[in-house]
Amino acid sequence: MTTPVATTPVSVDAGRLRLTDPAGADGVLLGMRCPACGIYLFGLAVFCPSCTAADLEPVELSRRGALYSYTIVRVPPAGWPGPVPYILGEVELPEGPHILAEVIDCPQDELSIGQPVELALQPVPAAADSQSTRIVYKWRPAAANPGDAP
Amino acid sequence: MTTPFKPSREVAVVGVGLHPFGRFPGKDLASLARDAVVAALLDAGVPWRAIPIAYFGHVYYQGMSVGETALGPLGLTGIPIINVENACSSGSTAFWQAYWGIAAGIYDLALAFGAEKVPSGPVTVTAADSPERYIGGDHMMAGYALRMRRYMAETGAPPAAFAQVTVKARQNAALNPYAHRQQTYTVAEVLASRPIADPLTLYQCCPTSEGAAAAILCARESLNRYGLNDTRAIRVAAATLTSGNYNGRGSDHSAFSPYRTEPAALAAYEMASLGPEDINLAQVHDAATIGELQQIEALHLTPMGAAWQATQSGRTALTGDIPVNTDGGLLAMGHPFGATGIRMVHETVTQLRGEAGPRQVANAQVGLAQCSGAGDVTTVQIFTR
Repeated sequence: MTTPVATTPVSVDAGRLRLTDPAGADGVLLGMRCPACGIYLFGLAVFCPSCTAADLEPVELSRRGALYSYTIVRVPPAGWPGPVPYILGEVELPEGPHILAEVIDCPQDELSIGQPVELALQPVPAAADSQSTRIVYKWRPAAANPGDAP
Repeated sequence: MTTPFKPSREVAVVGVGLHPFGRFPGKDLASLARDAVVAALLDAGVPWRAIPIAYFGHVYYQGMSVGETALGPLGLTGIPIINVENACSSGSTAFWQAYWGIAAGIYDLALAFGAEKVPSGPVTVTAADSPERYIGGDHMMAGYALRMRRYMAETGAPPAAFAQVTVKARQNAALNPYAHRQQTYTVAEVLASRPIADPLTLYQCCPTSEGAAAAILCARESLNRYGLNDTRAIRVAAATLTSGNYNGRGSDHSAFSPYRTEPAALAAYEMASLGPEDINLAQVHDAATIGELQQIEALHLTPMGAAWQATQSGRTALTGDIPVNTDGGLLAMGHPFGATGIRMVHETVTQLRGEAGPRQVANAQVGLAQCSGAGDVTTVQIFTR
C-alpha cells in the first residue's frame, strides 16, 4: 500500500499567474501597464515593447475576455498532460492582450468566436516533480455581461 | 520602418545544390549536408579550396559543430565555419550572413548551406520543461489553426480555398523529383484527411522531413576571376532579416498577421528598388495552408484578405500571373528547418535560370523567397536575372 503524498500547489508560471489561495483554487493573471503609452502586456516585460518606456507598472489583468479564435487539438504536443482532444482558445482581454490557454467545460459544438469566457484554474500533476502540483490557468464559458465587447 | 541597407557591391548566386527531401534513416545530418554542398560546388564550377567562409543552418541537436563535420571530408582548409540556429529560418539566416559577408567587401565567395532531420510529431518551440507544456499553447499547427479560423471568420474563405493550396503544392511537387510528397490530391481528399488541429487537416500541414540545401555566392565583380559563367549567375537584389516587431499590435494572431512578414518585405522592396508588382514568382513559408495565404498578402502580392480568391482562381498556380511555391513548397517538399530557406533560393535560382524543366514559369525575371521562424524571424530575398 502506498500513502498519497501531500503535494504543494505551484503556479505554472509565477510571472503570469499569482495564486491567491494556498490550495491553488484561485489566482490572478499578472501583467504590466505602460504609464507612458497606456498599453497592457501579459506577463513580465522590462521595457515597453511599444514605446520603450522603462517604468512599466505591474498590474492584475481581467478575469474575463472574449474568445478571439479557437482550435480543437487532436494531435497534442509531446508532454501534454491533459485530455485529447483538447480545445485551445485565444482569448482577448478587455485591456488588449491575447492569452492562449485550454478552454474547459465547453462542448465543442458550442464554441463561437466572440463568446465570453472567464478564468479557471486547474491542478495538473507535475511531470518531473511528484511533490508539487502545477496550477494552470484555463478558460471556461461565462455568462454574457452587458459590458462585454462584441 | 526603414532599414539603412548599404551594400557596397553586387552579389550573385553562382551555384545551388539539393539533397532530396524525405526520410533517410541510414544517413546522418552531416552526410545529407555534404551532398548538397558538393552539388552546389559542381553546379557553380567553383573548387572547394576557393571557398573562404561557410555558414551552416540547422536546429535540432545532432552533435556539436555539424557544419565542420559535414565539410571536413571535402578537405580541411581552415576557413571559418559558423553554425547558425534561427528556427525555421536557420537556412535563410545562413544565406543572409553569407550575402552580407560579400556585400560588405570582406569575402569574394561564400557558402551557405543547411540540413535537418526533423523528428516526427507536432513541432514545439519551447524547452521540454517549459510552462507551455502544461498550458498547451506551444503547438505550431495549433497556432496556424487559430489564425485560420479567424481568417475564415473575417474573410469568408471556405475550407476548399485552403485545400486548394495543398492541391496546387502537390501538383507542382509531382514535377519535382526532390520533393518529399509527390502524390497529388483533390480538394475533397485534402479536407477528408486526418484532422490535426481543427480546421487544419493532415494534408494542410507540412511534413516534418529530412534534407539539405546549399548555395554558393560570389561578388559580381569577381565572377571573371573565378572563371564563372555570368549568364547562370543570379543577382541577389535584396536580402533582409527581421525578428518580432511589436508594431503596436502586440502578440496578436489576427487573421492577417502582416506585422510578422511585412517589415522584412517592405525593406527588401526598398533595397531592390522593386515593388510587389515586379515579382514574377514567389517561394513563401507555407508550413500550413493558411501560412501561404497570409504570407502572400503580407508580401503585398495580393490585397489583404484576397489571397484565398487568388488561389481558387489559379493566379498562384504555375500558369498563373504570380506562381507561388513552384517546387511544392513546405507542404510538399517537406520542411527540414535548416534546409528550407536555402531550398527556396535553389528553386528561385533554378527558375530564373530557365532550368526548371516541366515546372518552368514562363518569362521568370524576378523571384522572391520568404521564410518565417519562431521568434517571428522573417527573411526575404529578391533575385533578378
